Amino acid sequence: MAEQGGLEGSQPVDLSKHPSGIVPTLQNIVSTVNLDCKLDLKQIALQARNAEYNPKRFAAVIMRIRDPKTTALIFASGKMVCTGAKSEIDSKLAARKYARIIQKLGFAAKFKDFKIQNIVGSCDVKFPIRLEGLAYSHGAFSSYEPELFPGLIYRMKQPKIVLLIFVSGKIVITGAKVRDETYTAFENIYPVLTEFRKVQQW
Amino acid sequence: MSCNCGSQSTFRDPVTGNLACTKCNILLEFENYDAQIGGISGPSGTNINIGYAGTGSVFNYKDRKIFNAKGSIHKYTLVLNIPNSEFEVTSMIDRITHGEFGQGDWFDVLIGACCYVVMRRDNRVLPAAEIAEVISCDVYELGRMISRVVRFLDLNLPEMSIAGLFEREINNSQCLGKLDDDGKERMKKQGIFLVNCAVKWFLTTGRRPLPLVAAVMVFVAELNGVKGVRIGDVAKEVHANVATCKLRYKELLETLVKVAQALPWGKDVNVKNVLKHAPSVIQYMEMKSMEKKHEGEMIEFQNSGFDLDDVVSDCLRTEAAYRDYENCIEGLDQHSDMGGRNDDPKWDLVKADKLKLSHECLSLIYTNFSNEVDRSQLNGQSGNVPRRERNTGSEFDECRDWWNGKSELTKKLLLKEILERDVGYDAMPPSFTAGCLANEERRKRINAAKLRINKIMHPLNTDSGGNGDLCIFEDEIPRKKRKRTQAPEIDWEDFIIETLLLHQVEEEEIEKGNYNRLLDLHVFNSGVM
Repeated sequence: MAEQGGLEGSQPVDLSKHPSGIVPTLQNIVSTVNLDCKLDLKQIALQARNAEYNPKRFAAVIMRIRDPKTTALIFASGKMVCTGAKSEIDSKLAARKYARIIQKLGFAAKFKDFKIQNIVGSCDVKFPIRLEGLAYSHGAFSSYEPELFPGLIYRMKQPKIVLLIFVSGKIVITGAKVRDETYTAFENIYPVLTEFRKVQQW
Repeated sequence: MSCNCGSQSTFRDPVTGNLACTKCNILLEFENYDAQIGGISGPSGTNINIGYAGTGSVFNYKDRKIFNAKGSIHKYTLVLNIPNSEFEVTSMIDRITHGEFGQGDWFDVLIGACCYVVMRRDNRVLPAAEIAEVISCDVYELGRMISRVVRFLDLNLPEMSIAGLFEREINNSQCLGKLDDDGKERMKKQGIFLVNCAVKWFLTTGRRPLPLVAAVMVFVAELNGVKGVRIGDVAKEVHANVATCKLRYKELLETLVKVAQALPWGKDVNVKNVLKHAPSVIQYMEMKSMEKKHEGEMIEFQNSGFDLDDVVSDCLRTEAAYRDYENCIEGLDQHSDMGGRNDDPKWDLVKADKLKLSHECLSLIYTNFSNEVDRSQLNGQSGNVPRRERNTGSEFDECRDWWNGKSELTKKLLLKEILERDVGYDAMPPSFTAGCLANEERRKRINAAKLRINKIMHPLNTDSGGNGDLCIFEDEIPRKKRKRTQAPEIDWEDFIIETLLLHQVEEEEIEKGNYNRLLDLHVFNSGVM
């Protein structure tokens, strides 16, 4: 529970799982759930606190709760997207809280097909990276266009994860469905990054 | 049909094909008269339309759309000055849209993206910012479209050459339009040299290249005494943000100052006067960059005690001043150590074949040099920096030939080739340095917060320290615009750090600076069911 709850930073690093000695920090979890009932969004917006609804702008009610600090998009079809949680368990807890709020507003909301859709993590390798060299050597997976985006976009095939690599050594890992994919992707890329760390001279 | 003469006998004229009277040989008129009778069964004539709008148009919607699209492609390729690539752009769009082309704002963005991709694919230079301005769209929007085009066509674009970009911009520059070809050529080489150095120093990595190009253009113009080149004008010309250009210019100067630290007078060089010292700094960089190429020669150089002496003497070397300089050096001979110089012609002037300058000698030379530099005006003739008059009687003359221009870095090189060369300084990326500094500052805040907490929790243990913790904090974190009499400021960040520390959060985690996440996880106890 403690680890699932996001206290991984307080635990000593398990080198068998994280040979690099760096554990990516989870920054955002996006999940979806089906409340399995049609919703009157206007009614929800009028009755619920912390809810906003502007159909001209976006066809969903935007609802926020403080604990876990998350935001939900609630659609008239009964589908809901929960964003902003820092761990999987937080995301599920938040989704349940939103479902409960909807129930209390008089809708027959259920909690069906909860699924984590995306996990965003980040970490710092603490050395600068020569992005041009990395882009050149891993051209099949990389896209580095400094005119358009400052980071190198690395599309890893296995696991199917996208990494944003910045010259400062900061890494963003996105596209995972489970946190282990995030960790695996980072452990896969770490040796590549060390190859292109600043001290490297061709 | 009968003739006016009354005869009804006719024959067909072999030349005109019309009927003619056999009696009077007159061509019979209206023989081929075609009555314009309407109706579905009526004869059909040639339909001539003026314009292509309306129900009677021969162009349907698709044809009109394609016609307009091709017109737009023609227009934009012409404005972007790439008319030769019109066919390639058209065929690329044809392929992407499956021959449908398109209309609307998105199509203009697609044209721009295809122009960019075609140019990049062919190793030619066309900045995205320029395209965005021509097609009146956002660079981000254009960027998204470029990414889509590249992904759709599964292209692997070649490495973008910033040196090529610099060359293009300096050629097209109106600010430097009045410059003669030689001057421009020299500036181009100097600029490419600096741009390549900037690539090595991470000044371009992860950044848009145009602001740096503008900064280098301004620097090179100043270096060569070209008047009227303002960073704002250049930034506008190259379609870059003025503030970013100024920032890059500042970064360039700061890096040159760091390079200059290797020179004997390096400690006197700062951002304000680095332009005056730039010739010697660049010469030093140039010589260092040529080390690897002429490895054999340099080994000789190193064996013979090559150090900064040659840079110094090269800076000071002028034909007219050799005698005076020789006198100067001879006068200093008692202070200098004799070393085994090689017979390089560079050293002939002051019997340098046996000379190794001592620190005292160097300092004297530098004092003289510094005085000269201070007196010289940078706004002299182009290419002569710093310049002074010959009749001043000083031992140095104009450093006309400080720029050698023989380094490989004056050419457009691949990144690998650039990184292979040493330019006398190896920099870390500014963002990385900034990150390290931010971490350091957070570490200091954590330490200060711990002291404060400790003082409150154990007041007796910290008696001897008195107000020391706060003093340490005050000393360690310099703050701008803080009044001397005011107590040390504790801001929101310090409070958050204190809170996190009190919730037993790891210091390493706090040092990363992800406060929101840590507050969520540890302070608000979310996730605990």
